[in-house]
Amino acid sequence: MSTTSKVAPATTPAPASRARQVGELLSRNLRQFGMVIALILLLLFFQIKTGVALNPGNIINIIQGNAYVLILAVGMVLVIIAGHIDLSVGSVAAFVGVVVALLIQDWNVPVYLAMLLGLVVGAIVGAWQGFWVAVVGIPAFIVTLAGMLLFRGLNQVFGKSTTIPVPQEIIYFGTASLPEVGPNTGFNNLTVLLGLLGLVALVVLELRKRRNALRLGAPVGPTYALVTRLVLLGAAILVATYLFASAPIGRSFPIAGIILLVLVVLYAFIAARTPLGRHIYAVGGNRAAAVLTGVNVRRVNFFVMTNMGVLAAVAAIVFIGRSTSSGPADGTGWELDAIAAVFIGGAAVSGGIGTVVASVIGGLVIAVLNNGLQLIGVQADITQVIKGLVLLLAVALDVYNKRQGKPSIIALLQRGFQRSSTTPEHEQPRSATKV
Amino acid sequence: MMNVARRKMLYAGFAGTVGVALALSGCSQRAGTDAGTAASASSGASAGFKEGSLIGVALPQKTSQNWEDAQRLFPEKLKAAGFTSQVQFANSGVAEQQSQISALITRGAKVLIVGPIDGSQLGTQLAQAKAAGIPVISYDRMITNTPDVDYLVTFQPDKVGQLQGQSLLQGLQEKAGHPAPYNVELFAGSPDDNNARIFFEGAMKVLQPKIDDGTLVVPSGQTTFQQVATQGWDPKTAQNRMDSILTANYSGATLDGVLSPNDTIARSLITSIGNAGKPIPPMTGQDSDPESIKLIADGVQYSTVDKPTVKQVDASVDIVKELAAGKKVDVTNGESDNGKTKIPTDFLDPTLVTKDNAAQVYADDPVRGPIAKGQG
Repeated sequence: MSTTSKVAPATTPAPASRARQVGELLSRNLRQFGMVIALILLLLFFQIKTGVALNPGNIINIIQGNAYVLILAVGMVLVIIAGHIDLSVGSVAAFVGVVVALLIQDWNVPVYLAMLLGLVVGAIVGAWQGFWVAVVGIPAFIVTLAGMLLFRGLNQVFGKSTTIPVPQEIIYFGTASLPEVGPNTGFNNLTVLLGLLGLVALVVLELRKRRNALRLGAPVGPTYALVTRLVLLGAAILVATYLFASAPIGRSFPIAGIILLVLVVLYAFIAARTPLGRHIYAVGGNRAAAVLTGVNVRRVNFFVMTNMGVLAAVAAIVFIGRSTSSGPADGTGWELDAIAAVFIGGAAVSGGIGTVVASVIGGLVIAVLNNGLQLIGVQADITQVIKGLVLLLAVALDVYNKRQGKPSIIALLQRGFQRSSTTPEHEQPRSATKV
Repeated sequence: MMNVARRKMLYAGFAGTVGVALALSGCSQRAGTDAGTAASASSGASAGFKEGSLIGVALPQKTSQNWEDAQRLFPEKLKAAGFTSQVQFANSGVAEQQSQISALITRGAKVLIVGPIDGSQLGTQLAQAKAAGIPVISYDRMITNTPDVDYLVTFQPDKVGQLQGQSLLQGLQEKAGHPAPYNVELFAGSPDDNNARIFFEGAMKVLQPKIDDGTLVVPSGQTTFQQVATQGWDPKTAQNRMDSILTANYSGATLDGVLSPNDTIARSLITSIGNAGKPIPPMTGQDSDPESIKLIADGVQYSTVDKPTVKQVDASVDIVKELAAGKKVDVTNGESDNGKTKIPTDFLDPTLVTKDNAAQVYADDPVRGPIAKGQG
């Protein structure tokens, strides 16, 4: 093949047989796509068991019902990559929720202004916690533990422990879908357009990455690997588009999903393509080295904590929209759900490793598991047991792989899309210890 | 670098896939409603559904014996009526209950019986149920903030509160050992449970006049619902509050009576008072927990309110049976206003239970009967 003759095959040792090459390639790609494959297998399993898991309506329910956790996971992964943790996100979200609801109900603030003020409050809370972490130097665990108590208390004080209904404009964010426009094609046209956009973006990004890599002389896999990857991911996007677009009239890809997509694209870009993102990975990966290379650690820490506050506010608005009111028990346990999603997605406890997309996929795995078990009718207590075991096993598998010198299952999930900042780190172990 | 021909092939391949996808669009049909069932548009006037249909039951956290009873009774009674059922408890909170209700709708439940954790946060899911033509029965606690509730089955919460207030006054007269004024403390249930507020207001209808004329005194000064509420009906929270009140106000004074909203909290308050070394005053309760019945038989807790879960389950199943037969539901005897709509309600009558009538009230109950007779 013209490709392999021009580029040194840095991925396998020279005399390997064709079969072994293919085998290694398959196993490595399998690991990279481990979580996505797990997600698909879970969906298929529950579809077989219940017959309704892949109903468009059900998939939409999964997205709408878990959007708030996934939005939190997007922020949480940056915090964890930077080497910290944030235990207060549930309480902060509850606090912002009650503030927004009260502004609208008691102070007659216009709805969109109230939502904006909610985001501002989230930013202030995040900045408050960021101050204690970045400037004073208290471990984030303690600061956010204090924040968890502090903001839960403020939530009760402001809301007087009652539920406060929210108006239709906010309910829209939690429950609405893309509107029906254009000719009647039997699908929701906007969703189809979105899916096609995603498909085109996938192809363009993959090809451009490959062209860049070849131009720079960096190692690339064989063409058939690229094609297979494109076909599989493209098929996944097409199937997802079909499911969302063929939902009953009035439902299609949910607005909460749009918000999530925008945030994922934005933060994945920030994490992988901007200096700020690289600094976050650096601070989490090796803080001393980061300081010595001139990274402003204080600014990085401040940013991730403030950002988490803003995203908690977004999650709060989506949740109270879906719940039609803000309640005193909102936010309980959300931080643990977000943290579980991030770790199932392959982040490292010590920091420096993890990607936004992988965390969202991890969150989706938990969501699909939850949904499937509910469809089967498994009791809530047993579901909790299963979720705990899944979290433990997923992370154990990841740690095992890392210890063997293989790359983290998900840390390289998006090598096809964008460069993960830890690539240099991972190239060495792979060739060093071959099992 | 990939040659131009191969790149063109790749692009062509994708264009082809996209074209096929678009072509297929013409052949699709979008269902009118979700859940794959031929749902009727209006609830209440439907043609009914057949035997073996799935009835979905979504209940809150299992915080007391009556919810354990509901978990046992619902499948039993629904099976006897010829339906299949799925009973779900939302231990983790509102978000879990929301997903459970959505899942039951997706599963094709014909009727939803919902005991809400927070009755005002289910609007979205119940709107989905309405769109799918699924009638919703609000069980034990009223669902608010949405017009999509069709029936309510509950023991008259206002009456429960009044019975509690009356029994507290009765207990004070019997046991205080000295004439008025009496020192009492007030406790209420969870602020997000609509019933808790009504229990408290019902009790205050009886007690407030006595507070106003000086017969009753509340040394801690905590008399509004917000001050006396117990988030999540959590007994630990109530116990901590009682500990603080005793320390702050009762170093010299005697506590003559306590208004407790239910049995679980009553027992935690009894523990708190006992730990402080004080005698246990007349204490009210609710739910007929077996452990509290033992305390009543022993004279430690003064009273409870009997709301047999089996009656509530039976009433709900009766509504389901009438819906299945496509008949107009006529077992309801009243109406409740949840702020957005008037809900036809089946009000059931609670019974006050004290040491005197315990044996008689629980005569037929296999678990509570022996306890009430002193053999538990």
